Amino acid sequence: MALDSYPASVTLRDGSTVVLTPLQPSCSGALLAFYRHLPEEDRLMLRDDVTTSDWAEGFLRKVETREIISLVAKAAGKVVGEATLYRTLHGWTRHVGEIRVTVAAAFRRKGLATALAAAQVKIATDLGIEKIIVQVVDNQLAARRTFEKLGFHKEAILPHHVMDVAGMKRDLIVLANDVSQIWAAMEAANQDYAPHLG
Amino acid sequence: MAQTEIRVGGLGGQGVILCGSIIGKAAAIHDGKHATLIQAFGPEARGSACSAQVMVSDQPIGYPYVKHPDVLVLMSQDAFTQFLPQLKPGGLVLYESDLVDPRGALPAGVRSAGVPATRFAEELGRRLVLNIVMVGFFAGVTGLVPIQAVERAVLDSVPKGTEDLNMKALRKGYDYGREQSTQIC
Repeated sequence: MALDSYPASVTLRDGSTVVLTPLQPSCSGALLAFYRHLPEEDRLMLRDDVTTSDWAEGFLRKVETREIISLVAKAAGKVVGEATLYRTLHGWTRHVGEIRVTVAAAFRRKGLATALAAAQVKIATDLGIEKIIVQVVDNQLAARRTFEKLGFHKEAILPHHVMDVAGMKRDLIVLANDVSQIWAAMEAANQDYAPHLG
Repeated sequence: MAQTEIRVGGLGGQGVILCGSIIGKAAAIHDGKHATLIQAFGPEARGSACSAQVMVSDQPIGYPYVKHPDVLVLMSQDAFTQFLPQLKPGGLVLYESDLVDPRGALPAGVRSAGVPATRFAEELGRRLVLNIVMVGFFAGVTGLVPIQAVERAVLDSVPKGTEDLNMKALRKGYDYGREQSTQIC
Protein backbone atom coordinates (compact mmCIF):
# COMPACT_ATOMS: atom_id res chain seq x y z
CA MET A 1 0.00 0.00 0.00
CA ALA A 2 2.80 2.39 0.91
CA LEU A 3 4.42 1.89 -2.50
CA ASP A 4 1.22 2.02 -4.56
CA SER A 5 2.00 5.43 -6.00
CA TYR A 6 5.32 4.39 -7.54
CA PRO A 7 6.95 4.72 -10.00
CA ALA A 8 6.50 8.48 -9.81
CA SER A 9 8.07 11.28 -11.85
CA VAL A 10 9.66 14.21 -10.05
CA THR A 11 10.63 17.47 -11.73
CA LEU A 12 13.78 18.94 -10.23
CA ARG A 13 14.64 22.61 -9.74
CA ASP A 14 16.57 22.73 -13.03
CA GLY A 15 13.57 21.39 -14.96
CA SER A 16 14.99 17.89 -15.43
CA THR A 17 12.89 14.87 -14.57
CA VAL A 18 13.77 11.77 -12.58
CA VAL A 19 11.67 8.74 -11.82
CA LEU A 20 11.41 7.42 -8.27
CA THR A 21 10.83 3.70 -8.16
CA PRO A 22 11.14 0.95 -5.54
CA LEU A 23 14.36 -1.01 -5.94
CA GLN A 24 13.86 -4.16 -7.98
CA PRO A 25 16.31 -7.11 -7.90
CA SER A 26 17.01 -6.45 -11.58
CA CYS A 27 18.23 -2.98 -10.59
CA SER A 28 20.95 -4.17 -8.23
CA GLY A 29 23.72 -3.81 -10.84
CA ALA A 30 22.72 -0.21 -11.53
CA LEU A 31 22.60 0.50 -7.79
CA LEU A 32 26.05 -0.97 -7.28
CA ALA A 33 27.38 1.10 -10.19
CA PHE A 34 25.86 4.22 -8.62
CA TYR A 35 27.56 3.61 -5.29
CA ARG A 36 30.88 2.67 -6.91
CA HIS A 37 30.91 6.01 -8.75
CA LEU A 38 30.49 8.03 -5.55
CA PRO A 39 33.63 9.90 -4.48
CA GLU A 40 35.54 8.16 -1.71
CA GLU A 41 34.89 10.99 0.76
CA ASP A 42 31.16 10.47 0.24
CA ARG A 43 31.40 6.71 0.66
CA LEU A 44 33.28 7.18 3.92
CA MET A 45 30.16 8.81 5.32
CA LEU A 46 28.17 5.64 4.68
CA ARG A 47 27.92 2.93 7.27
CA ASP A 48 28.61 0.00 4.95
CA ASP A 49 31.07 -0.69 2.16
CA VAL A 50 28.56 -0.25 -0.62
CA THR A 51 30.92 -1.19 -3.42
CA THR A 52 30.87 -4.95 -2.89
CA SER A 53 28.60 -7.57 -4.42
CA ASP A 54 28.14 -9.09 -0.96
CA TRP A 55 26.71 -5.83 0.29
CA ALA A 56 24.32 -5.64 -2.69
CA GLU A 57 23.13 -9.22 -2.11
CA GLY A 58 22.52 -8.60 1.59
CA PHE A 59 20.76 -5.34 0.82
CA LEU A 60 18.42 -7.03 -1.65
CA ARG A 61 17.63 -9.79 0.83
CA LYS A 62 16.48 -7.17 3.33
CA VAL A 63 14.45 -5.44 0.61
CA GLU A 64 12.69 -8.75 -0.06
CA THR A 65 11.86 -9.21 3.64
CA ARG A 66 10.64 -5.57 3.75
CA GLU A 67 13.12 -4.81 6.53
CA ILE A 68 14.40 -2.21 4.09
CA ILE A 69 12.35 -0.04 1.74
CA SER A 70 14.64 1.28 -0.97
CA LEU A 71 13.63 3.97 -3.46
CA VAL A 72 15.95 4.70 -6.35
CA ALA A 73 15.90 7.81 -8.51
CA LYS A 74 16.57 7.11 -12.19
CA ALA A 75 17.51 9.50 -14.97
CA ALA A 76 18.15 8.23 -18.50
CA GLY A 77 18.12 4.67 -17.18
CA LYS A 78 20.83 5.30 -14.60
CA VAL A 79 20.49 5.38 -10.84
CA VAL A 80 21.27 8.93 -9.67
CA GLY A 81 20.06 8.72 -6.11
CA GLU A 82 18.86 6.29 -3.49
CA ALA A 83 16.92 6.59 -0.25
CA THR A 84 16.60 3.75 2.21
CA LEU A 85 14.12 3.33 5.03
CA TYR A 86 15.46 0.93 7.63
CA ARG A 87 13.11 -0.56 10.19
CA THR A 88 13.04 -3.41 12.64
CA LEU A 89 10.08 -5.70 12.24
CA HIS A 90 10.02 -6.72 15.91
CA GLY A 91 11.41 -5.58 19.23
CA TRP A 92 11.31 -2.41 21.23
CA THR A 93 12.16 -0.07 18.35
CA ARG A 94 9.64 -1.49 15.89
CA HIS A 95 7.90 1.90 15.81
CA VAL A 96 11.12 3.62 14.71
CA GLY A 97 12.53 3.92 11.20
CA GLU A 98 15.79 5.36 9.94
CA ILE A 99 16.22 7.10 6.62
CA ARG A 100 19.46 7.40 4.66
CA VAL A 101 19.68 9.37 1.42
CA THR A 102 22.49 9.44 -1.13
CA VAL A 103 22.50 11.52 -4.33
CA ALA A 104 25.02 11.59 -7.21
CA ALA A 105 27.16 14.73 -7.26
CA ALA A 106 25.68 15.89 -10.58
CA PHE A 107 22.16 15.83 -9.11
CA ARG A 108 22.80 17.73 -5.90
CA ARG A 109 21.30 21.16 -5.14
CA LYS A 110 18.36 20.36 -7.42
CA GLY A 111 15.88 19.17 -4.83
CA LEU A 112 16.39 15.44 -5.45
CA ALA A 113 17.49 14.66 -1.88
CA THR A 114 14.44 16.49 -0.57
CA ALA A 115 12.15 14.56 -2.93
CA LEU A 116 13.67 11.23 -1.91
CA ALA A 117 13.57 12.06 1.80
CA ALA A 118 9.98 13.33 1.61
CA ALA A 119 8.94 10.19 -0.24
CA GLN A 120 10.46 7.99 2.46
CA VAL A 121 8.85 10.01 5.25
CA LYS A 122 5.49 9.44 3.59
CA ILE A 123 6.15 5.73 3.10
CA ALA A 124 7.21 5.42 6.74
CA THR A 125 4.04 7.17 7.88
CA ASP A 126 1.88 4.92 5.68
CA LEU A 127 3.62 1.87 7.18
CA GLY A 128 2.64 3.02 10.66
CA ILE A 129 6.14 4.02 11.73
CA GLU A 130 5.78 6.63 14.46
CA LYS A 131 9.26 8.06 14.74
CA ILE A 132 11.89 8.52 12.06
CA ILE A 133 15.55 9.28 12.69
CA VAL A 134 18.35 10.47 10.46
CA GLN A 135 22.07 10.69 11.21
CA VAL A 136 24.08 13.58 9.78
CA VAL A 137 27.64 14.71 10.38
CA ASP A 138 27.97 18.22 11.83
CA ASN A 139 29.35 19.69 8.60
CA GLN A 140 26.56 18.25 6.39
CA LEU A 141 24.62 21.48 6.58
CA ALA A 142 22.58 21.00 3.41
CA ALA A 143 21.48 17.54 4.50
CA ARG A 144 20.52 18.88 7.89
CA ARG A 145 18.49 21.71 6.37
CA THR A 146 16.73 19.26 4.05
CA PHE A 147 15.52 17.17 6.96
CA GLU A 148 14.69 20.12 9.17
CA LYS A 149 12.36 21.37 6.42
CA LEU A 150 10.62 18.00 6.63
CA GLY A 151 9.98 18.42 10.35
CA PHE A 152 13.09 16.78 11.81
CA HIS A 153 14.78 18.31 14.83
CA LYS A 154 18.06 17.74 16.62
CA GLU A 155 17.60 15.05 19.24
CA ALA A 156 21.12 13.94 20.14
CA ILE A 157 24.78 14.71 19.48
CA LEU A 158 27.50 12.08 19.64
CA PRO A 159 30.72 14.12 19.97
CA HIS A 160 33.73 13.08 17.86
CA HIS A 161 31.81 10.03 16.71
CA VAL A 162 32.85 9.94 13.05
CA MET A 163 36.17 10.40 11.33
CA ASP A 164 36.31 12.00 7.87
CA VAL A 165 38.67 11.20 5.01
CA ALA A 166 41.33 13.56 6.42
CA GLY A 167 41.25 11.83 9.81
CA MET A 168 39.35 14.67 11.46
CA LYS A 169 36.84 13.60 14.11
CA ARG A 170 33.42 15.14 13.81
CA ASP A 171 30.18 15.16 15.77
CA LEU A 172 27.35 12.93 14.66
CA ILE A 173 23.92 14.53 14.99
CA VAL A 174 20.77 12.45 15.33
CA LEU A 175 17.73 14.20 13.91
CA ALA A 176 14.27 12.87 14.73
CA ASN A 177 10.75 13.36 13.44
CA ASP A 178 7.86 12.17 15.58
CA VAL A 179 5.41 11.50 12.75
CA SER A 180 2.87 10.02 15.18
CA GLN A 181 1.91 13.67 15.77
CA ILE A 182 0.51 13.83 12.24
CA TRP A 183 -2.07 11.22 13.11
CA ALA A 184 -2.64 12.71 16.54
CA ALA A 185 -3.92 15.76 14.62
CA MET A 186 -6.30 13.53 12.66
CA GLU A 187 -7.45 11.95 15.91
CA ALA A 188 -8.12 15.44 17.25
CA ALA A 189 -10.11 16.28 14.11
CA ASN A 190 -12.22 13.18 14.77
CA GLN A 191 -12.89 14.01 18.42
CA ASP A 192 -16.50 14.91 17.65
CA TYR A 193 -16.35 17.73 20.12
CA ALA A 194 -16.00 20.79 17.95
CA PRO A 195 -17.76 23.85 19.39
CA HIS A 196 -16.11 26.07 16.77
CA LEU A 197 -18.19 24.38 14.05
CA GLY A 198 -21.63 25.12 15.38
CA MET B 1 -36.31 23.72 -4.77
CA ALA B 2 -34.05 20.66 -4.41
CA GLN B 3 -33.20 20.21 -0.75
CA THR B 4 -31.63 17.16 0.84
CA GLU B 5 -31.66 16.60 4.57
CA ILE B 6 -28.95 14.36 5.97
CA ARG B 7 -28.36 13.00 9.46
CA VAL B 8 -24.96 11.50 10.27
CA GLY B 9 -24.92 9.46 13.47
CA GLY B 10 -22.39 7.42 15.40
CA LEU B 11 -20.15 7.52 18.42
CA GLY B 12 -17.80 10.27 19.55
CA GLY B 13 -14.32 9.61 18.18
CA GLN B 14 -15.54 8.12 14.91
CA GLY B 15 -15.33 11.50 13.20
CA VAL B 16 -19.09 11.92 12.81
CA ILE B 17 -18.97 15.72 12.88
CA LEU B 18 -16.06 15.83 10.44
CA CYS B 19 -17.98 13.53 8.11
CA GLY B 20 -20.96 15.90 8.13
CA SER B 21 -18.74 18.93 7.85
CA ILE B 22 -16.99 17.57 4.75
CA ILE B 23 -20.30 16.79 3.02
CA GLY B 24 -21.48 20.33 3.76
CA LYS B 25 -18.20 21.95 2.68
CA ALA B 26 -18.16 19.95 -0.54
CA ALA B 27 -21.65 21.18 -1.40
CA ALA B 28 -21.37 24.78 -0.24
CA ILE B 29 -17.76 25.71 -0.95
CA HIS B 30 -16.88 23.48 -3.89
CA ASP B 31 -20.18 22.84 -5.67
CA GLY B 32 -22.00 26.16 -5.50
CA LYS B 33 -24.87 24.92 -3.35
CA HIS B 34 -26.06 26.04 0.06
CA ALA B 35 -25.42 23.94 3.16
CA THR B 36 -25.83 24.07 6.91
CA LEU B 37 -24.40 21.94 9.69
CA ILE B 38 -25.79 21.39 13.17
CA GLN B 39 -23.92 19.12 15.52
CA ALA B 40 -24.88 17.34 18.70
CA PHE B 41 -22.51 15.49 20.96
CA GLY B 42 -22.45 13.98 24.41
CA PRO B 43 -20.30 15.25 27.26
CA GLU B 44 -17.51 12.74 26.65
CA ALA B 45 -15.00 13.32 23.89
CA ARG B 46 -15.18 9.67 22.87
CA GLY B 47 -17.72 6.90 22.96
CA SER B 48 -20.89 8.92 23.54
CA ALA B 49 -23.68 9.34 21.02
CA CYS B 50 -22.93 12.00 18.48
CA SER B 51 -24.68 13.29 15.40
CA ALA B 52 -24.54 15.93 12.72
CA GLN B 53 -27.45 17.42 10.80
CA VAL B 54 -26.54 18.55 7.30
CA MET B 55 -28.86 20.37 4.93
CA VAL B 56 -27.89 20.75 1.27
CA SER B 57 -29.99 22.90 -1.03
CA ASP B 58 -29.99 24.77 -4.32
CA GLN B 59 -31.54 27.73 -2.51
CA PRO B 60 -30.63 29.61 0.70
CA ILE B 61 -31.66 27.59 3.75
CA GLY B 62 -33.99 29.29 6.19
CA TYR B 63 -34.28 26.51 8.76
CA PRO B 64 -31.22 24.35 9.35
CA TYR B 65 -32.62 21.67 11.67
CA VAL B 66 -33.11 18.22 10.17
CA LYS B 67 -36.34 16.75 11.44
CA HIS B 68 -37.02 14.12 8.78
CA PRO B 69 -33.84 13.23 6.92
CA ASP B 70 -33.79 12.02 3.33
CA VAL B 71 -30.49 10.25 4.02
CA LEU B 72 -29.13 8.65 7.18
CA VAL B 73 -25.40 7.95 7.44
CA LEU B 74 -24.98 5.67 10.44
CA MET B 75 -21.89 4.37 12.17
CA SER B 76 -23.35 2.74 15.30
CA GLN B 77 -26.30 0.53 16.19
CA ASP B 78 -27.52 3.09 18.73
CA ALA B 79 -27.61 5.78 16.05
CA PHE B 80 -29.53 3.40 13.78
CA THR B 81 -32.11 2.74 16.49
CA GLN B 82 -32.38 6.42 17.40
CA PHE B 83 -32.60 7.98 13.96
CA LEU B 84 -34.35 5.40 11.78
CA PRO B 85 -37.85 6.47 12.96
CA GLN B 86 -37.11 10.01 11.72
CA LEU B 87 -36.32 8.92 8.15
CA LYS B 88 -38.66 10.14 5.43
CA PRO B 89 -40.73 7.44 3.73
CA GLY B 90 -38.65 6.06 0.86
CA GLY B 91 -35.48 7.54 2.37
CA LEU B 92 -31.99 6.11 2.13
CA VAL B 93 -30.00 4.48 4.95
CA LEU B 94 -26.23 4.22 4.51
CA TYR B 95 -24.58 2.27 7.30
CA GLU B 96 -21.30 0.84 8.52
CA SER B 97 -22.07 -2.81 7.89
CA ASP B 98 -19.79 -4.26 10.58
CA LEU B 99 -21.23 -1.97 13.27
CA VAL B 100 -24.88 -1.72 12.27
CA ASP B 101 -27.29 -4.61 11.72
CA PRO B 102 -30.43 -3.30 9.99
CA ARG B 103 -32.04 -6.71 9.46
CA GLY B 104 -35.76 -6.73 10.05
CA ALA B 105 -35.90 -3.10 11.11
CA LEU B 106 -36.15 -1.24 7.82
CA PRO B 107 -39.66 -0.07 6.93
CA ALA B 108 -41.05 -0.96 3.51
CA GLY B 109 -39.87 1.38 0.80
CA VAL B 110 -36.71 2.43 2.61
CA ARG B 111 -33.56 1.90 0.55
CA SER B 112 -30.31 0.90 2.22
CA ALA B 113 -26.68 0.08 1.54
CA GLY B 114 -23.86 -0.95 3.85
CA VAL B 115 -20.10 -0.54 3.70
CA PRO B 116 -17.48 -2.19 5.94
CA ALA B 117 -15.86 1.21 6.46
CA THR B 118 -13.90 0.29 9.57
CA ARG B 119 -12.44 -2.78 7.88
CA PHE B 120 -11.55 -0.78 4.76
CA ALA B 121 -9.89 1.87 6.93
CA GLU B 122 -7.88 -0.76 8.79
CA GLU B 123 -6.80 -2.32 5.50
CA LEU B 124 -5.59 1.08 4.38
CA GLY B 125 -3.53 1.33 7.57
CA ARG B 126 -5.54 3.59 9.90
CA ARG B 127 -8.88 2.87 11.52
CA LEU B 128 -9.14 6.64 12.03
CA VAL B 129 -10.13 7.22 8.41
CA LEU B 130 -13.36 5.22 8.61
CA ASN B 131 -15.36 8.44 8.52
CA ILE B 132 -13.68 9.43 5.27
CA VAL B 133 -14.59 6.03 3.81
CA MET B 134 -18.18 6.83 4.84
CA VAL B 135 -17.98 10.24 3.12
CA GLY B 136 -16.80 8.52 -0.08
CA PHE B 137 -19.54 5.92 0.24
CA PHE B 138 -22.12 8.68 0.66
CA ALA B 139 -20.83 10.48 -2.44
CA GLY B 140 -20.71 7.26 -4.47
CA VAL B 141 -24.23 6.10 -3.61
CA THR B 142 -26.10 9.41 -3.62
CA GLY B 143 -24.22 11.38 -6.29
CA LEU B 144 -25.46 14.46 -4.40
CA VAL B 145 -22.09 16.19 -4.67
CA PRO B 146 -19.47 15.55 -7.38
CA ILE B 147 -16.50 13.51 -6.19
CA GLN B 148 -14.12 16.30 -7.24
CA ALA B 149 -15.87 18.68 -4.83
CA VAL B 150 -15.70 16.09 -2.08
CA GLU B 151 -11.99 15.54 -2.74
CA ARG B 152 -11.34 19.25 -2.34
CA ALA B 153 -13.39 19.36 0.85
CA VAL B 154 -11.42 16.43 2.30
CA LEU B 155 -8.12 18.10 1.43
CA ASP B 156 -9.35 21.31 3.10
CA SER B 157 -10.40 19.46 6.23
CA VAL B 158 -7.75 16.91 7.17
CA PRO B 159 -4.39 17.62 8.84
CA LYS B 160 -1.30 18.12 6.71
CA GLY B 161 0.54 14.86 6.17
CA THR B 162 -2.62 12.75 6.25
CA GLU B 163 -3.96 13.80 2.85
CA ASP B 164 -2.83 10.78 0.84
CA LEU B 165 -4.31 8.16 3.11
CA ASN B 166 -7.50 10.15 3.48
CA MET B 167 -7.82 10.43 -0.30
CA LYS B 168 -7.34 6.67 -0.62
CA ALA B 169 -10.02 6.16 2.02
CA LEU B 170 -12.35 8.51 0.15
CA ARG B 171 -11.77 6.74 -3.15
CA LYS B 172 -12.25 3.31 -1.55
CA GLY B 173 -15.62 4.34 -0.12
CA TYR B 174 -16.63 6.09 -3.34
CA ASP B 175 -15.83 3.13 -5.58
CA TYR B 176 -17.66 0.77 -3.25
CA GLY B 177 -20.58 3.17 -3.18
CA ARG B 178 -20.72 3.33 -6.99
CA GLU B 179 -20.88 -0.47 -7.09
CA GLN B 180 -23.59 -0.60 -4.45
CA SER B 181 -25.66 2.18 -6.00
CA THR B 182 -26.62 -0.09 -8.89
CA GLN B 183 -27.96 -2.70 -6.49
CA ILE B 184 -29.98 -0.51 -4.13
CA CYS B 185 -33.69 -1.09 -4.24
